[in-house]
Amino acid sequence: MVGDAGLWAQQPSSRESQVKAVFLFNFTQFIEWPAKTFPDAESPLIIGILGDDPFGNYLEQATTNEKINSHPLIIQHYKTVDEIKKCHILFVNISNKEQLDLVFKSLEGKSILTVGDSRNFIRQGGMIRFFTDNDKIKFQINVEVAKAAGLTISSKLLRLAEIVTSKNN
Amino acid sequence: MKLRDVPIQRKLMSVILYTSGAVLLLTCTAFFAYEVLTFRQNTTNQLSTLGKIIATNSTAALAFDAPDDANEVLAALKAEPHIVAAGLYDEKGKLFAQYPANIPVTDFPTNPQKDGSDVEHSYLIDFQPVMQENRHLGTLYLKSDMNAMYERLRLYSGIVILVIIVSLLLAYLLSRRLQKRISKPILALAEIAKAVSDRNDYSVRATKLGEDELGLLTDAFNRMLTQIQEQNLEIITLNQNLEHKILERTNELETANKELESFSYSVSHDLRAPLRAIDGYTKILEEDQLRNVDDEGKRMIGAILKNTKKMGDLIDDLLAFARLGKKEINGLDINMNSLVKTVVDDFLLVETEEKINISIQDLPPAQGDQALVKQVWINLISNAIKYSKKESKISIEIGSYPKENKIVYYVKDNGVGFDMRYYNKLFGVFQRLHSQEEFEGTGVGLAIINRIIQKHYGEVWAESVLNEGATFYFSLEPIQKEDL
Repeated sequence: MVGDAGLWAQQPSSRESQVKAVFLFNFTQFIEWPAKTFPDAESPLIIGILGDDPFGNYLEQATTNEKINSHPLIIQHYKTVDEIKKCHILFVNISNKEQLDLVFKSLEGKSILTVGDSRNFIRQGGMIRFFTDNDKIKFQINVEVAKAAGLTISSKLLRLAEIVTSKNN
Repeated sequence: MKLRDVPIQRKLMSVILYTSGAVLLLTCTAFFAYEVLTFRQNTTNQLSTLGKIIATNSTAALAFDAPDDANEVLAALKAEPHIVAAGLYDEKGKLFAQYPANIPVTDFPTNPQKDGSDVEHSYLIDFQPVMQENRHLGTLYLKSDMNAMYERLRLYSGIVILVIIVSLLLAYLLSRRLQKRISKPILALAEIAKAVSDRNDYSVRATKLGEDELGLLTDAFNRMLTQIQEQNLEIITLNQNLEHKILERTNELETANKELESFSYSVSHDLRAPLRAIDGYTKILEEDQLRNVDDEGKRMIGAILKNTKKMGDLIDDLLAFARLGKKEINGLDINMNSLVKTVVDDFLLVETEEKINISIQDLPPAQGDQALVKQVWINLISNAIKYSKKESKISIEIGSYPKENKIVYYVKDNGVGFDMRYYNKLFGVFQRLHSQEEFEGTGVGLAIINRIIQKHYGEVWAESVLNEGATFYFSLEPIQKEDL
């Protein structure tokens, strides 16, 4: 994994990380997960990070003491896909094509919102991809994949996003 | 003109119009106030609802830092022309998006205010929290002009004024018709009352128009007229009877009076003839047969002649008095000074002048029959001299003074006078307060004076204290000014 560090074109700035962390948290408010993903009202909403954590403690800051509909927010870090047992949002900090394929394959059939920022993230089967436009963080959403995973994305969120499909990206 | 002086028709209409006008005004004001309050509440509610919709739609834009999208959401407010400005503040209170896009940021409040709406400088201001689930993402600011409200106010004002005008017009037309039901019988009554008092015609009757109080009034009025008419008829009848009776009595009296006058005249006249015979034969007896008669016979003949003369005087006076009843007086101006002087001079020729002192004041002229007034003076002055004979010095004062548009003349003496207790007999015919032996006279003098002055529409009266002299007064009309 250390060898992959060279693939990072540049280290994201701290502001960019902060915005992404907030966005990640905000997604929880505009996306609905199937009810079965929450066994009871107090079940936590889990935000997982696969690979290196690019957010420092910004994500902790954004989520501390926050609740989504009485579901407390929990952040979990995973080294490998196999560690993922149960999670709602997964930030995939992996850009290697083969590894990504593996990840998406193992997540198939699970209602997990996948978020990433590597160039081919959507093309390989990711749901939301951050990108920078005019110094602003924006995102693309692959509605079909999200739908297939049983997730409902708010139209308000969709309006802000660039809607893409697996093929045309 | 005060309300109480205007005609009843206008009074009734004024009352109706003022009342309906006041009610209308109150109703319209209440309606107006209610509408304004409701509309204001509605406007506030609408703005609040609009704010909630916009706020709900702005959550994602705020959450994902997309001001373009927020501007787009706000731009939808174009559909609502009364929204003059809208702004979206992020959770830190920084202006994030605005509408319209071209107005300066300084037009917006620097910080969002407390949630809720308020009126500020004739603008309606509304602050709405932008919430996603329970999370406060920012604040929406809406600024609406109140033109809608002013437009509504203008519309309502127009409607209210129109309603008032139309209603008052209707009230005017209705009251003009309806007031007649009250005023018509009253006016009819007033007209009848006026006709009655103007023409004294009690035969007219007011027409009854209904069974209300005015109908009762009309009935009472008509009953009163009937009573007055009956009483009036009675009075007229009584009056006519009375006049008739007076005329009858007057005629009877006149006849009786005339008979009495002609009787006394003819009696007096007829008495003279035998008296003249007695006088004539007694004088022949005195002249021719004097030597055949002794002294006692001579004394008797003298007594017969003396009494015959006295009776002649009496008849003369009676005739004079009787003639006065028939005589018409010639009202001419009399120079009283010269008249009295002639009379007094005649007396002084006869009397022993040393004993008599007659003082005459300046006497104003008067209207009257010169011969008759002269007789008055003669009688008064002769009486004054006669009843003062016993005094050592006879003092007579003749004067005058004005009294109530007339001139009063008087003759005052210092003679025996008379007792005022017998005053009412003073001016009667043949009435004497002193004996024939004490003072000569027939007792007709004052009666003649009284009759003459009465014929001149004057008055005669006297004052006296027994043994201290008497004053006799008579009044006459002064001469007319233009005759002077």
